[in-house]
Amino acid sequence: MKVSFEWLKELINIKDSADEVAHRLTMIGLEVEAMEQVNDDIVFEVNVTPNRPDCLSIVGIARELSAAYGVAYELPAHDIAAETGELNFNVDILDKELCNRYAGRIVRNVKICESPEWLKKRLEKCNIRPINNVVDATNYVLLEFGHPLHAFDLKTIKGNCIRIGTCRTVKGQAAKIKFKTLDGIEREMPDDSLLIWDAERPIAIAGIMGGIETEVSDYTTDIFIESAYFEPTNIRRTSKSIDLKTESSYRFERGTDIKMLKKALDRAAYLMKETADGEIYGKIDIYPKRYIPPKIQVRYERVNRVLGLKLAKKEILACINKLGLDIEEVDANTFKAKPPTYRRDLKRDADIIEEITRFYGYDRIPAELPKATIGIDSQESRVRGQESKIKNNIKESFLRSGFTEVINYSFMDAKDLDILNIAADDERRCLVDIRNPLRAEDAHMRTTLIPALIKNVIYNLSHGNRELRFFETGRVFINISQDKNSGLPLEKEHVGIIYYHEKSRTLYKDETQVFYIVKGIIEAIFNDLKIYDYSFKRSSEPFLHPGQSADIFIGDNKIGYAGIMSPAIVDILDIKAHRPFIAIAEIDIDRLVPYAMQVVQYRSLPKYPHIERDTALLVDVSLEASALMKWLRSYSSELIDDISIFDVYQGKNIPEGKKSIAFNVRYRASDRTLNDDEIDVVHKSLVAYISEKTKGQLRSS
Amino acid sequence: MEDLKQTFLDEIKSVEGLVDLSNLKIKYLGKKGIITAQLKKLSSIPPADRALFGKKINDIKQFMETEIDVLESRLKGEELKRQLLSDSIDVTLSGKFVSFGREHPINKTLSEITDIFVRMGFSVEEGPEIELDYYNFEALNIPKDHPARDMQDTFYVSPDIVLRTHTSPVQVRVMEKRKPPVRFIAPGKVYRCDADVTHTPMFHQIEGLMVDKGINFSNLKGVLVTFLHHMFGPDTPVRFRPSFFPFTEPSAEIDIGCIICNSSGCRVCKNSGWLEILGAGMVNPRVFEHVGYDPEEYSGFAFGMGIERIAMLKYSIDDIRLFYENDIRFLRQF
Ligand SMILES: [Zn+2]
Repeated sequence: MKVSFEWLKELINIKDSADEVAHRLTMIGLEVEAMEQVNDDIVFEVNVTPNRPDCLSIVGIARELSAAYGVAYELPAHDIAAETGELNFNVDILDKELCNRYAGRIVRNVKICESPEWLKKRLEKCNIRPINNVVDATNYVLLEFGHPLHAFDLKTIKGNCIRIGTCRTVKGQAAKIKFKTLDGIEREMPDDSLLIWDAERPIAIAGIMGGIETEVSDYTTDIFIESAYFEPTNIRRTSKSIDLKTESSYRFERGTDIKMLKKALDRAAYLMKETADGEIYGKIDIYPKRYIPPKIQVRYERVNRVLGLKLAKKEILACINKLGLDIEEVDANTFKAKPPTYRRDLKRDADIIEEITRFYGYDRIPAELPKATIGIDSQESRVRGQESKIKNNIKESFLRSGFTEVINYSFMDAKDLDILNIAADDERRCLVDIRNPLRAEDAHMRTTLIPALIKNVIYNLSHGNRELRFFETGRVFINISQDKNSGLPLEKEHVGIIYYHEKSRTLYKDETQVFYIVKGIIEAIFNDLKIYDYSFKRSSEPFLHPGQSADIFIGDNKIGYAGIMSPAIVDILDIKAHRPFIAIAEIDIDRLVPYAMQVVQYRSLPKYPHIERDTALLVDVSLEASALMKWLRSYSSELIDDISIFDVYQGKNIPEGKKSIAFNVRYRASDRTLNDDEIDVVHKSLVAYISEKTKGQLRSS
Repeated sequence: MEDLKQTFLDEIKSVEGLVDLSNLKIKYLGKKGIITAQLKKLSSIPPADRALFGKKINDIKQFMETEIDVLESRLKGEELKRQLLSDSIDVTLSGKFVSFGREHPINKTLSEITDIFVRMGFSVEEGPEIELDYYNFEALNIPKDHPARDMQDTFYVSPDIVLRTHTSPVQVRVMEKRKPPVRFIAPGKVYRCDADVTHTPMFHQIEGLMVDKGINFSNLKGVLVTFLHHMFGPDTPVRFRPSFFPFTEPSAEIDIGCIICNSSGCRVCKNSGWLEILGAGMVNPRVFEHVGYDPEEYSGFAFGMGIERIAMLKYSIDDIRLFYENDIRFLRQF
């Protein structure tokens, strides 16, 4: 909110400079966010928090400064010296819950013209456009007293009466009402919106905006000024549902001062007499629902307990004695505080304690570390601690493997799933929709990290960046209820990686297939986490190269996939110009973590030496290493310590359709030193077994 | 005999490599070599001359061995030198890729903050990013139709389900599950429908909560001043001023002296010399009522901060959107 320093000083006599006043305001909770020199004046931009509608005015700010400085403030002139005559006008509040008080005055024979310069300047400083002397007077009072008013052209009000009620109350039933507001827009009103009616029709949306048909124009002579208290919730609902926010609705929905409205009304009439030469007639004031502020009981001891202070009673009361509260000392331990009508935010002792703190001064309270109890973390937090360590390990491993971390928005475009050819019945199609997205392409929560990673690569390529290795850890959201009671969707922590590689651009030629590079990193991470029961099986993910991709399993549980992006998708994405290899992988960390929680158990080192045998087999090219390993492991011998494949070769000297696989077997006994003759026998038998299983041939070396 | 020595010296002079030398060695000292032959002759020498002849032969043999050894080690040295020279590579070419990746500046900042609180005995908790309206608002004393909801433009999934607008709902979820004392932080992503130079629709926050018997406002100041001094240096000025959050009372906003201009006033601190860095307050007794804690027995404080803002200040980044463009040239700087 804009606050003119010069205007403020009209109400309160402060000697301090604008800088000092700004600091004072900030330190009592009215943060001055900016200061702007406007001609001879300084305008503060004050951040008024939603709990303090009473500060949305010059009077409100003056009141707070008065409490801070201990200097009195004065209300602007609003006494009506003489009233011209009878009103002959009727006001009827039909919805008393929604309109607790309604007051009005008639001012006749106004001369509509421009407002005087001083008034226009003040409006402009507060970002309000001057219109004419009558409308300006109501806006001026809104800024000054914080109470929104409305001026009707009296002659356009039919039947010399005003009724306040919702459509339902006034018409006895719900009905579609279209209403054209001052801004010329026709709006459809919700049934339960509070409206102002004359004898025949609605003439204003209560507390938000007047109607075009009763607007004050250049030809207006007689005015009806409205000053009312409208119930905040209804104003807020209406304002939201018709999407119309005004200076008036902003204040009504936060709560206005039901007592001050009369003074504001008088002030507006006073100004219209001054600036438009109007004749002020009598006043109507219907106040069916009287507001009685609560008496709040506060214990001195609690004040000190909350703040960590040892203040005497007198000191406590001194903090709040200038805030307009009625203080009543109950007994030695307690006092009661009755807030003024403009402080509806004060309801409980905590609210009063906050006021005490504000005026005691936050900076005067010492900073002291708590005398903490050191306890043992709950089992749950310990598990969570372990889990986050594992997640950190994974992240650290990718960083050390040359992958740079990215963070993408959790939103996703459903079209991205089409590009990836994700099937209709795939879990990743269970999208959580956002009802009010900022952009259509951000209308869903992501179910996979891959589309954003691909976009990261495309973005970087378009900026000339090459050799990209990115990873992201973050949640994906599956629209499957994880908990029947809450109805919240499933959230899973994933890690996604993308490896973009252009062969021709590397200084040192590395013939390793990109798939094996990525697989190697993933295997290294598993080993680091002491997960050994993993396997890679040919994947059927529709966006991966069918010949160069694998689903990743731990035990029988699929936890992710890794592979080269399908050339068809590289085509669509229009990044094939550099003939890149793009590997992607995505792993469900939540599924992986439990396997990594194993307790390490030491195994004693072998006491006796081992004997090795290398063998090369000629087998069909289609035989996968995993199959060979499975058969090798199925050969039962207690002497086998370890088996590994160390060479796979295809080409020269190997028949068409065949390949050579060389493996190494390490033999060891736990209780003696083996001899070569013994192992020759075992190994020969193993080779015979495996040759038969694989239909392979021993390759002569 | 002297002739033999002279011939040897002439021949060794013309030796050009280790192979020549080896041949020379065989010629003179080998099993069938000249010296060996002479030694074999020893038995046929008359006994009177034998000792003298033997000595002469042995002297010359020793002489030759020494000469050969010296030359051999010289030749070996030269050969090694030649080989090393031919093995030489351009050491100024860059090495084969081992360039590590970089942590995203947001997560880097987040871990730094988390570490400080963990050292102060706070545990780390999590909560769902898609949250019930109840936890995001109601239980935090922000009823429907309350203007405080305007402070946070909300993404809705359904009338009762929102993308959490802050990490504060984790407070309620943890307190519902656990009896006091509780002391934790909850870092995470939050969402608001807002996008410009200073706002992104998704950003990161860290929430903190400490509840126990006898926790007071002075403790809130103690913990947060300690944190800020860890984070920004022990001489950083810290200022607490009143503010409003529906779930704390009294509420405070905490500023640090501007680290860009050293509190002398600049564009970033809007010439105030102060930077807003944290929101905090004593837990509103109404929140305790929602989770079944007795506000007479327990008290506590909560705080929250935006990670993007802290990272922007720390690294002097002027556009929040850079964090989510993920340009490698940006990410590599951290
Ligand atoms: Zn600064």
